[in-house]
Amino acid sequence: MEIDAEDAKKTILDYCLRKGALAAGVADLAALERIAPPGHRPSDLMPKIKSVISLGVGGQTQGAWSVPAKAMGYFGSTETRAYTIAYGAAFLIESRYQTPAIYCPPDMDNEKGPRVPLQSLKLHAEVAGIGARSLAGDILLHPEFGYMYFASIFTELELPPDQPMETNPCPAPSCVAMYRQIGRTPCQKFCPVQCLSGSIDEDGKQAEMHYDMAACAEMSQQYEAVPAMLSEAMAAEDAQGREDALFDPDNKMLWYKMSVGSGGLLAQCFECMRVCPIATKAPLADPIRRSIAKEGV
Amino acid sequence: MARGFSRQQIGVTGAMIDSYGDLIFQLSHNMQTRRGDPIRTLDFEGIEASRDELGMSDGQIAARVGLSEPQVMYIRNMMERRNFNSRHYHRLLELGGGKRFREERFTDHTERFHYHDDAIALREAMAFAPDRARHYSEQGWWADDTLSGWLARHVSQRPEAAAIIQGDLVINYADLGDRVDRLAGGLHGLGLGQGDVIAVQLPNIAEYLISYLAIARLGGVMTTLYMPHREREFETLLTHSRARALICLSDAGGFPAAETALGLKLPKLQSVIAIGPVASAVPGAVAFEDLANGTASANKLNLPLPVAADPFLLLYTSGTTASPKAVPHNSHTMLGNARLGAGEHLLTADDVILSAPPFGHLFALYSFHLALYTGAANLLLATFTPPDLARVVEDGRATALFTAPAHMAACLGMGLFDKHDWSSLSLAVLSGSAVPGDMARAVAVKMPNCAMTQLWGMTETQGGLYCRPGDGIDIASRSAGRPAPGVEARISDEGELQVRGSMLFPSYFDNPGANEAAFTDDGWFRSGDLAARDAIGNIAITGRIKDIINRGGVKYNPREIEDLLDGHPDIAQSAIVPMPDDVLGERACCFAVATDKNLDLNQVCAYLLEKGIAKTKLPERLVLMDEMPMTPTRKIIKGRLVLPEI
Ligand code: SF4
Ligand code: SF4
Repeated sequence: MEIDAEDAKKTILDYCLRKGALAAGVADLAALERIAPPGHRPSDLMPKIKSVISLGVGGQTQGAWSVPAKAMGYFGSTETRAYTIAYGAAFLIESRYQTPAIYCPPDMDNEKGPRVPLQSLKLHAEVAGIGARSLAGDILLHPEFGYMYFASIFTELELPPDQPMETNPCPAPSCVAMYRQIGRTPCQKFCPVQCLSGSIDEDGKQAEMHYDMAACAEMSQQYEAVPAMLSEAMAAEDAQGREDALFDPDNKMLWYKMSVGSGGLLAQCFECMRVCPIATKAPLADPIRRSIAKEGV
Repeated sequence: MARGFSRQQIGVTGAMIDSYGDLIFQLSHNMQTRRGDPIRTLDFEGIEASRDELGMSDGQIAARVGLSEPQVMYIRNMMERRNFNSRHYHRLLELGGGKRFREERFTDHTERFHYHDDAIALREAMAFAPDRARHYSEQGWWADDTLSGWLARHVSQRPEAAAIIQGDLVINYADLGDRVDRLAGGLHGLGLGQGDVIAVQLPNIAEYLISYLAIARLGGVMTTLYMPHREREFETLLTHSRARALICLSDAGGFPAAETALGLKLPKLQSVIAIGPVASAVPGAVAFEDLANGTASANKLNLPLPVAADPFLLLYTSGTTASPKAVPHNSHTMLGNARLGAGEHLLTADDVILSAPPFGHLFALYSFHLALYTGAANLLLATFTPPDLARVVEDGRATALFTAPAHMAACLGMGLFDKHDWSSLSLAVLSGSAVPGDMARAVAVKMPNCAMTQLWGMTETQGGLYCRPGDGIDIASRSAGRPAPGVEARISDEGELQVRGSMLFPSYFDNPGANEAAFTDDGWFRSGDLAARDAIGNIAITGRIKDIINRGGVKYNPREIEDLLDGHPDIAQSAIVPMPDDVLGERACCFAVATDKNLDLNQVCAYLLEKGIAKTKLPERLVLMDEMPMTPTRKIIKGRLVLPEI
């Protein structure tokens, strides 16, 4: 079967956009293979891979930014929409082009523990040109769509790659102005665990980005707290200490989150994004403005 | 386990984790540094150059450090666990929705307020029977009453209404709220806070009530010292209560209270706050004025508001036992009782309430609790003397008087009801000791428009039983009325009054022996008072169980003999106490203050026989006294009557 690669790419990306993705692109596989460490390269997962397609769906609704941080984690499940689109796109490729495709598992690498993903969806999206690393711990930002959730499709179908974004929207001009005044950008200033730092050069571009990922994970990804609580209970001196370790309201909440598979157990705190002008105020980041733009209201 | 292998199989040791752990953690993705934007620009050289800073995979670290990949994986995971700060999560709970994290404004949870051990020990003493607690709450007897809440209500609803009247000084509720707020802020500035015990030794002056309210606002616990207390009582009570501060006069009628307290060098007593013109001259003391007029404000400091379950009073019993017992109360017991009592006493916001006994005594504080609940005015009499009481009632147009029988007897004796205008009074509540019926009736005649009532209460109970204003003098002169709302009373086979209810203290603080003796097995409080109930439920207190004299197996209550002796023309006061006897076990000894210094035992016995008293109940010794040891509510302290050597 003769497949027009350009045409196929357009068909697949259009499908993604039609199904709700805000942006989609094809990453340069060779670049990914060079950048990703061994064990996490696309070919480690799909030996005959030819293309990586990345797509992003809208992050928070505009209203979500005003809810308390303790509730923000539950808004994170928008990423499942991205996975659904990716899943559909993989089916589309197989049915239309009779070429194997997979929806790239977004999960952690079973062998390496919960801080190491199988694949970096971030890397795919960045190389596909639908996001650029920000000073907020390398969270990808898009100049039009702000903050998105990403999903990837791997396929043995060869598609022409896109280029990474030409310019990085981060830091926004207002962030540069703040940095010049106080030496910190909004995301750096307002991160509750102060895990972000870095500098901006004379041209207003990112010079250095430091990110204490461990501290960020401790803020909202509680998996380490569960065994910690158990070992505290075992080490407790008396019955009251054991009771506290297992059943005090904080710890009991962890049991609850575990038992229901709560979204709040694996989330960000989002404070860096809440104050980020791009995440919240990029022209089409806000679903309300986006729909107005679309409907032309 | 790493990839299914145990620590031993992959050769990881504790020494290896200690040696390489930090390096591995830093090289891993846990700590990331990116210089420039090499990935977006596909600057492969730059990417390679910064790989260790960007965060390496376990395999890359293994190659770099010279360990196997499973070893790195194992060590990294252990380091993530060791470095894990589970407290970070708590910051999340205070953020967002408009609140922004500010590093400089955040105090780590571990560094935030926690009750110190003494405060926790006191809170441990607030143990109520669970079924009782639920019952009181379901009945609405326990609610969310707090002194601070009541004060705030009046400040907002009736700011201009008089709260405290002391001579020419009138403090309205708005002003009182402001003074309390500033003093609480000042006390906070001294390092005092929730759960701290603060002692107060003051006469009935405005500063007493302001201090009480400020301590309550702070979430502290007030303990009271009576004005006659001196160095020995200071040491005992301040030590036992674990007081952190004392508010007192610099010069209490010649007694240097502040200086004395400081001189004791009690380890827990951080601050002595002195009131008086020479307060600032007491070395080491803080001047009350400076705190009260300071700029600190409890409300602006956002100090947490107390809740009803917090203990806020620690009172020492005025009983006659040698070792004082500490009675803790919270707002449930104290203020619920006052809230329920206000309507029973027919008190309203229009009342002007005067207490003759000192605020160090719970009966006086009860009058204040009633006033603060209703929003009435507190008319102050700094120190009781009969003429001063009569003058303050007249000048201040008191409508409700809380007083001891001895106060009334003294006024009656001095003819003050005829010399002054007492007509503003519509209620007089007598408590603190037995009310002689004749005296009550005589006072009632002098104040025909005033409802005379009797109240029975103890430091452990506040208002337990009382007559209602409509009962009439017949009932009020011979009984303490009926239980207050929320109170149950029963009389044991031995004749002892036992009570339980929403007003009852939970247990004595730091005195297990006293607790065992104080409660029956089914949780009723043994009052130690003997009582009798009439056909319509009014309860008369007839004596003290421990005053009962057991003469060779014949037991009798000496109260009826004391009452008769009080009617003897030459006897001003009398008290009959048991004296040990080798043959009979006990015999009765009569202590008396007599106007005739030659009065002898035979005359006393002849008088009693004439009144129909059985021979077996006659006193067998007479001790004449110049004056009796008295409680602040003018009750004779029998425990201090010491038999002189013959
Ligand atoms: S998600 Fe929270 S903890 Fe992580 S970088 Fe952003 S603000 Fe900091
Ligand atoms: S707030 Fe947003 S735009 Fe500004 S520096 Fe941080 S990530 Fe970049």
